Amino acid sequence: MPEAWPTETLLGKATALKIGMWIFLLSDAFSFGALLLSYGVLRAQSSHWHIAGEPEFGINFTAVLTFLLICSSVTMVLAVSACRQRKHGQTLLFLALTILGGLLFLTGQYQEYFGIVGHGLVAEGLHFGQSHRATTFYLITSFHGLHVATGVFIMLLTFIKTALGKYRDGNYDALENVGLFWHFVDLVWILVFTFVYLIPPEAASS
Amino acid sequence: MSGQTPHAHSVRNYLVVFALLCALTAAELGVVYVPGISRGLLISALVLLAVGKAALVLFSYMHLSSETKALKLTVVIPLCLPPIFAIVLMADAVWRRL
Repeated sequence: MPEAWPTETLLGKATALKIGMWIFLLSDAFSFGALLLSYGVLRAQSSHWHIAGEPEFGINFTAVLTFLLICSSVTMVLAVSACRQRKHGQTLLFLALTILGGLLFLTGQYQEYFGIVGHGLVAEGLHFGQSHRATTFYLITSFHGLHVATGVFIMLLTFIKTALGKYRDGNYDALENVGLFWHFVDLVWILVFTFVYLIPPEAASS
Repeated sequence: MSGQTPHAHSVRNYLVVFALLCALTAAELGVVYVPGISRGLLISALVLLAVGKAALVLFSYMHLSSETKALKLTVVIPLCLPPIFAIVLMADAVWRRL
């Protein structure tokens, strides 16, 4: 059980761990905010954002990755729900599915960059540093990918602890905080998907 | 233990949100492929859909809707700042290109 936290009317029953996680997530949100802000300003002031010869981003493929993260978000929240109800088997199952979703997302990102089947963006000529579009793309998506990898690692540890019976007593505080981080990763991807992938270059739409 | 509101945390609620997230993602893809759509309308629609999806994750899956008003405001107010800065800075960048 977590340390007892004095009753605090403003923050209700939120534990110290949860408040700490929210503070961390806010600071992380500002990191992504700064990256997306820089991306937006660079793109807004550029008259030739998409340089001729640079490959297009695969919107349909990335939509599948988005779907994967949405699926892993729902399995994560179901894992927390199962833990709260002391359903040990279901907690493990949903955690495993969430980890699988994260791993598939990372595999998809590797496919997009380097190509497992066919060519990736690097082989097609999109290199870090060659243009604002290329640099911001790799910076933002790899920073997000680092978060996915971190989330998968933390969830693996949580899975092992759960399997060892650490959360059998219905105390879902730690699991809920892992979930907060994972949902944040999903939330950030929602914005990255829109701003980096879906909004077309100006020349293409005019 | 964390705050609990069983109704908001029900499995049915989670699955409804999941269906909404899938539908909004499909709508995003649909908007992108609408022939002849103006750039302004396309960007507005995509941003609105993304904000809607982000709000669903934030308030439902991250359980912010079940937290106290103080915690909600502590999270939401700072999150409003980057979009405000974005609007100001991008408007400035576009203005300088004109």
